[in-house]
Amino acid sequence: MTRTRQLLATLAAGTALVLPALAAAQDLTIVREVDSNNYDPHIAVARAAAEVLFMAGDTLVTITPDMQDIAPGLAHSWEVSDDGLVYTFHIREGVQFCDGKPLTAEDVAWSLSRWVDPETASSNAWRAGDVASIEAVDTYTVEYRLEAPFSELLYQLTQHFATIIDRDNVEALGEDFGINGFNGTGPFCFESWAPRDRLVLTRHEAYDWGPPFYENQGPAHLERITWVIVPEENTRTVALLTGQSDISQYVPAIALGQLRDAPNVEVQRSDEAFWTYFMGMKIDKPTVSDTVVRRAMNLAVDQEALAEDIYFGEVEPAYSYISQATLDWNPGLDDTLLRHDPEAANRMLDEAGWERGVDGIRARDGVRLAPVAYVFAGSTWQRLSEFVQAALLEIGVDMQIEAYDATVAWGRLATQEFDMFGLSYPYISAGDALNLYFPSRNIPSPNRMNWNDPETDRLLQVGKTALDDDTRSAAYGEVLAQIHDTAVWIPLFHEPMFIAHSSALAPVVPHNMYGSGLYKGLDLRFLD
Amino acid sequence: MTTAADIDSTADPVAPRRRAWWRLLLADRAAALALFLLTVIVLAAALAPWIAPHNPYASSRTVMLPPVWEARGTWNHILGTDGQGRDILSRILYGTRTTLIIGLVAVVVGGVLGSLLGLLSAFYKRIDPYIMRLVDMMLSFPAILLGLALVAVFGPGVVPVIVALAIATIPDCARIARSIAVSVMEQEFIEAGRAVGLSDGTLFVRYLMRNCISSIMIFISLRFGQVILIGAALSFLGLGARPPMAELGMMAAQGRDFLLFAPHIAVIPSVAIFVIVLCANMVGDALRDVLDPRLRS
Amino acid sequence: MLETIANRLLLSIPVLLGVLILGFVLVQVAPGDPARVLAGPAAPPEVVEQIRQRMGLDDPLVVQFMRYMGRLMQGDLGRSLISNRTVIAELSSAIGPTIELMFACLVWSIPAGIAMGTLAAVWRGSLVDRAIMAFSVAGVSLPIFFICLVLIQYIGVKWQLLPFIGRGGPLWTVDGLRHIALPALSLGLIFIGPVARMTRSSVLEVLRLDHVRTARAKGLSEGRVILRHGLRNALIPVITLIGLQAGYLLGGAVVTETIFSYPGIGRLAVGAILSSDFPLAQGTILVLALAFILINMIVDILYALLDPRVQKK
Repeated sequence: MTRTRQLLATLAAGTALVLPALAAAQDLTIVREVDSNNYDPHIAVARAAAEVLFMAGDTLVTITPDMQDIAPGLAHSWEVSDDGLVYTFHIREGVQFCDGKPLTAEDVAWSLSRWVDPETASSNAWRAGDVASIEAVDTYTVEYRLEAPFSELLYQLTQHFATIIDRDNVEALGEDFGINGFNGTGPFCFESWAPRDRLVLTRHEAYDWGPPFYENQGPAHLERITWVIVPEENTRTVALLTGQSDISQYVPAIALGQLRDAPNVEVQRSDEAFWTYFMGMKIDKPTVSDTVVRRAMNLAVDQEALAEDIYFGEVEPAYSYISQATLDWNPGLDDTLLRHDPEAANRMLDEAGWERGVDGIRARDGVRLAPVAYVFAGSTWQRLSEFVQAALLEIGVDMQIEAYDATVAWGRLATQEFDMFGLSYPYISAGDALNLYFPSRNIPSPNRMNWNDPETDRLLQVGKTALDDDTRSAAYGEVLAQIHDTAVWIPLFHEPMFIAHSSALAPVVPHNMYGSGLYKGLDLRFLD
Repeated sequence: MTTAADIDSTADPVAPRRRAWWRLLLADRAAALALFLLTVIVLAAALAPWIAPHNPYASSRTVMLPPVWEARGTWNHILGTDGQGRDILSRILYGTRTTLIIGLVAVVVGGVLGSLLGLLSAFYKRIDPYIMRLVDMMLSFPAILLGLALVAVFGPGVVPVIVALAIATIPDCARIARSIAVSVMEQEFIEAGRAVGLSDGTLFVRYLMRNCISSIMIFISLRFGQVILIGAALSFLGLGARPPMAELGMMAAQGRDFLLFAPHIAVIPSVAIFVIVLCANMVGDALRDVLDPRLRS
Repeated sequence: MLETIANRLLLSIPVLLGVLILGFVLVQVAPGDPARVLAGPAAPPEVVEQIRQRMGLDDPLVVQFMRYMGRLMQGDLGRSLISNRTVIAELSSAIGPTIELMFACLVWSIPAGIAMGTLAAVWRGSLVDRAIMAFSVAGVSLPIFFICLVLIQYIGVKWQLLPFIGRGGPLWTVDGLRHIALPALSLGLIFIGPVARMTRSSVLEVLRLDHVRTARAKGLSEGRVILRHGLRNALIPVITLIGLQAGYLLGGAVVTETIFSYPGIGRLAVGAILSSDFPLAQGTILVLALAFILINMIVDILYALLDPRVQKK
């Protein structure tokens, strides 16, 4: 390690001298691992899409970087009726799209209606609640009516799915919307996108409606932001160290120590990320339909070793499907969580009649325990899935890994052609996580487990429409108990947010929304 | 039958050289060393399950351990461990096996098919132009492109890569086999064989094939190194072998993430490929020089 | 002479046809229903059926092939399943960078290889000869990705001399040159070996010829003999070599572009294949195959022009 330190020290010292500035001072280059398959806010679910959409577009309401408070966005104020069914939003005046068109309540109502329109087929329409109607009352007022109360509505409206878009733009571009063009009201404008290579945003000169938690209330400091896809971890690290990239939150855990030591790089950390990595199982597939098998698989994985060896102690091992610090977590489950115990796992499988074949792989009634797992191509999931694969091999389960490029993985993950899958996801509360993955209407995606249980559906509805904390917490707690007991996932770890950036940039405050650490990027600026 | 045997022994064009080739080859000290190394590597790869010190797929709690000659190295993991704590030496043994199998199967299948085409083309003059046109067409499709095309259709895996490499070996091999066979066909003993009434089959197998085989083998050995390099490159790009299977190109690709911190994870498999290919090339070159200078250009 | 060229052109027609058929087959045999792929996994059956009809997937294969050829003639390769941009647009933005890379690679590696080969031939059997030959054997035995990684590690990271991510701009700009330097260096390094070897053996051969001996006997200095007679005649096989090694270079370019995140055809091809973007994969493979055919054709014609023996025939 000392050698590496020395190397990095010389490296950093040399940077200023040898590398001439590669770009003008107010141009920012961000490296990241994967691209999104498109940038239509109602379709795209990847973090890669959220990162860009928060900059290129705005939402009615926003959330503070620590995820605690709702703040104004395109709406400067709002009221909620006592029965929790009618939300009235007052839209700011003087907001305009990148093409200069002024924003009106019509645009807001149309955008949000498109989100929930079955025609759009948005997998995230549920986040808008049970919408009765969304209408513009006058030029600057929108009335959002619900069929049933939705305790999380305001929070959900801060997500990139609720980005306000331009109807003319959507209709003009047709299938090319979010691919060849995007007209938003954000602090940056969509300039060009070369899939899997780079996406360029330029400053929105007229912008002065940023959220109040930003120091900068005018147009962005930066003139241009280039998002570059660099799938290789090592290259991303070196790009940061050598100044070829100014900032990235896709820094490998292995490099964090070294990046902290490098004089030309700062590392920011936030623990309020609520971002969890897991492998899920399709509970109706023969290879993983037996609860004993799923529980044994959970026991086989050593999360502590994973966090320690693969992530150098920078992440928190996960035994629960959401962080135990999350709102509405069920503390009654703390002692029942499945921890590393391969002997018990082997014993359970032996007892259940899953016998090892000559190759050491278990089988029963002609079913061989060789589940097919779909994961994302790229080093993160390659390493995670191989770690799990090696662990499962110890208990006689031969997991087959099929890795797909992020551009196709989401489509693949919506099929029924696999037994297991690897994903990571952001959430704000138990309800947020559970309502995404476990309602039966979300089969096959995002309910990729095919979890189909009327009792769960009922409890989720109770939690969602609850008007008081206790009812909500109890309902969600019960669902949590159900799914942990049947072991539908193998939780892996909870990941804090890390942002590494050049010391030439003013310190960056990580924003935890959907893991898109830079959020609107309004305060991003180079020091003089 | 006696006549046939007589013809065989007197007319073999490579017979006089054959006796001494082994000694000649060993006289070239570099080639002898390469041959020795290659033998050791092949043996080690073949015996991987028995001599590998650890399970190549099992992770341990010591990750990124450097090789034994570096400060923190241990004898338990002579070449260190990779990012998952897997023993690199064991993975290299298994990986070499995969890499060699990919190369060998491709070169043998492609070589056999190609030589048959070439020999048939020389033997039956009627079909010669057709076969050669087909070969020309195949020749305009480089191995890497074929590999990409097959992987595009069937998805990443070892099998499409082997098939692509095998197909890519066919045209070159057919051309060489044909040119060798044409000169053999001009020899008197073929004429004589026809005269004594031997069937086409006997002539083809006994006389033509026998006399061409050593030259063709040399060509195939020259080709082997290249095929291994392409196979490793495809695996490096994520188009070939898939985890957990160990393959040298893939291991190098996985090591890239650790280049800054534990370069040995990428360097060791790369060097292994280099040594294999270098030895194969040197042995091939030397064999050619000794046995069959005709192939030189 | 013209006949040779005409013959060569004729010869490439069946090859071209073969490549086109292969391109067609590529999409035909791809697992899964193209209509399903296009419609997305969540689409209802009616939509898939509609797309099937629109794409003409129910027509006989011959009809489909003719239609495919017709579209190709009009330069219509379909749209990328991922970006929804036309394949032609994707390809045209990637071809330039790849040509630049090839140029930047050949422009230094060929002269360097020829120089090394000549030196080795002149000092045949010497230590220089052996060193150069060892270098060239090592060069063809090294995996290209290893060369790339080593160059990145030392020139890019340790000494910070050159950038190694992406393309900086056109070749004639400073930034463009700086960015292309490392990829071109890596690719060139695998090409020097074959060039040096080929040059060495042809120079040796030429030096043995009668007119060279005569020139020597006439008392011309060794350097002039080599330059005037040896090297000039030795160039012909080197040109052929470029044709022979085009496939090898292409493979190298695919790896190099991917490692350096260089936006050329090779990286596009790998990306398209990894993301099952069939139309784009087909397009990149067609373009690469066409380029390969074209290079070989040009090389053959050049060869015919340069070599008097071929001319006489």
